[in-house]
Amino acid sequence: MRERDNKPGSAAPDSPVRVSQNLVGGLSLVAIAALALWLLRDLDAGSLTAMGSALMPRVLAVGLGILGALVAASSFFHRGLVLERLPLRGPTLVILAIATFAATIRPLSLGSVSLPGFGLIVAAPLSIVICGFATRDARLRELVILALSLTPACMLLFGDLLNLTIPMLPDSIMALFPDGWSQKAMLRASAAAMLAVAAVLFFSSTRSDVGDARKKD
Amino acid sequence: MDTLIANLSLGFSVALGLQNLGLAFVGCLVGTLIGVLPGVGPVATIAMLLPVTFSLDPTGALIMLAGIYYGAQYGGSTTAILVNIPGEATSVVTALDGHAMARRGRAGAALGIAAIGSFFAGTVATMLIAALGAPLTKAALLFGPTEYFSLMVMGLIFAVVLAGGSIVKALAMIMLGLLLSTVGTDLETGDQRMTFGQPFLWDGIDFAVLAMGVFGIAEILRNLGQPEDRDLVRATIGRLLPSRQEMRQSLAPILRGTLLGSAFGILPGNGAILAPFASYAMEKKLADDPSRFGKGAIEAVAGPESANNAGAQTSFIPLLTLGIPANAVMALMVGAMTIQGIIPGPQVMTGNPSLFWGMIASMWIGNLMLLIINLPLVGLWVKLLQVPYRLLFPAILVFCCIGIYSINAQVTDVLFIGLFGLAGFILIRCGFEPAPMLLGFVLGKLMEENLRRALILSRGSLTTFVTEPISAGLLAVSFILLAVAIVPNIRRGREEVFAE
Repeated sequence: MRERDNKPGSAAPDSPVRVSQNLVGGLSLVAIAALALWLLRDLDAGSLTAMGSALMPRVLAVGLGILGALVAASSFFHRGLVLERLPLRGPTLVILAIATFAATIRPLSLGSVSLPGFGLIVAAPLSIVICGFATRDARLRELVILALSLTPACMLLFGDLLNLTIPMLPDSIMALFPDGWSQKAMLRASAAAMLAVAAVLFFSSTRSDVGDARKKD
Repeated sequence: MDTLIANLSLGFSVALGLQNLGLAFVGCLVGTLIGVLPGVGPVATIAMLLPVTFSLDPTGALIMLAGIYYGAQYGGSTTAILVNIPGEATSVVTALDGHAMARRGRAGAALGIAAIGSFFAGTVATMLIAALGAPLTKAALLFGPTEYFSLMVMGLIFAVVLAGGSIVKALAMIMLGLLLSTVGTDLETGDQRMTFGQPFLWDGIDFAVLAMGVFGIAEILRNLGQPEDRDLVRATIGRLLPSRQEMRQSLAPILRGTLLGSAFGILPGNGAILAPFASYAMEKKLADDPSRFGKGAIEAVAGPESANNAGAQTSFIPLLTLGIPANAVMALMVGAMTIQGIIPGPQVMTGNPSLFWGMIASMWIGNLMLLIINLPLVGLWVKLLQVPYRLLFPAILVFCCIGIYSINAQVTDVLFIGLFGLAGFILIRCGFEPAPMLLGFVLGKLMEENLRRALILSRGSLTTFVTEPISAGLLAVSFILLAVAIVPNIRRGREEVFAE
């Protein structure tokens, strides 16, 4: 994977602040080491015959701090690569999508805010659409179709076939089904409904969308 | 010899069972799929699929996960040849000459020789594992905590030396990984270490969470910043079988690549990733006319492709015999084994022979399946390559979320893959490589445990590591390696290998 890393920073001549990668990276490591040492302050290092719980982490934190400082210091001796301005759009939306998934998959209460659990049927489409906008090429319709076809596939695969314990449907949807339906039957019915909507959207849009896509590509 | 045949026939009887055959096929298929798709690697995929293995028996689970790993090595070459993007890190070198061959209309031959080379390498590596398994396991039983600790130190040093870029940065990443592994309850004293008092950190950081964050989410973030241009060869792929002359040219490179790959794969510390680079450099040195390299030399496809497949398979050896994972994929295998109640180590072979030999036999069967999956079905994979990344990454993200949530049913795990992903992305942006960090994390707990035991045995004397002969030898090797890597001349040579 690293081989594809074509030296970020080498091509950022117009970046307003020119900070070296090594300075930022090294100082971050020193900060992590300091945090670790602070968290370990109350623990006992023991002795070599009877190692305490703090011995190994403390040694490691000191080592990390020294290496971090070396990396940071190296930025003063030779000009390394410049840190490119971090993009905002991608990371923000990706993190937001993950947080949305976490918040909706099952009941959540944070202080005074509480959300009912929505299950995978809501969590997955929401995070797909939010995450999709992390790139500038995002097209809403395409993402909705993706969400409405991928979600039921996951529901059937993980919930029906593999029996993983992931909440699938919220209570409000389950209440819509007549009594006597089993969990799995409800799951299959909702998945089928979503797939149907996805199919309708896909076929109603093929002509115009494919035309757009051709032009855009 | 007789026992080897008896063992292998036991293995084949297990691996040829209908369920295991099916699971090997599923593993190889998924492996090829993610190998073909750039931006999804085996680490993130295996982490995503860990919960799927809950409902399987241990042998079946490991057969499937192993199939994903070596299947990805096959699939990666397809993308490298046809699109000039390495589908996997190990197929970077293949892209150089493989794609050049494709541009000259020899895509079929390149794909063919890659698959043939990989199959040959896979066969040899399987036999090597079978042959080395028993003696190495015996040797491992002689290892005490002192030797284990030194062996792991050597593994980490290997990882530093083999990683690209600055040695100091790689060392720092190892330290960070080791440090992260100490988060959580200390098993010996019961103390909470660096948990911020949060219950979800009491058990420490889950390896699957860290791996998925760093290899799944951070990878998405990195790819988002890069423009998507896929130079898909539109010309027909042509005949898949290489011509007789091409076969003759590739024979020696395949043999050398297999040898190199097998040797690098056994090294603790993710040697497999370097094997294709070494093979490429070697072929170029040995070639009559090195200027053909980069313009579509078939040797430069045959050698590295054999090397990466051999390396992927022999990297199972340290895990199966010593219980030490050599890379992130093997660490996930440890996770899968632990979930099934199996403690990896030398006792697996004696205590659970059907698992051990079944897995080895399935590797050969899997390689045979991959030949079929890859060659005749190549048209299907080409179609798949036309899926744009803008539709791929939301799917990867959701699979990551579902996968990690279903391991422990913890919402915090989901949030943590985001956090580690972001942290990993920033580290990558600062020129740090996450792979050594993961290895440090994987070995951290084992190292601390063995260090503690070794020190108890030696009554607190650190000299035990240099007075015990095996341990001293291992440490000497690591020291020499590190010293050699710092020597300027060799450094330059190493950078050249990576620059190509």
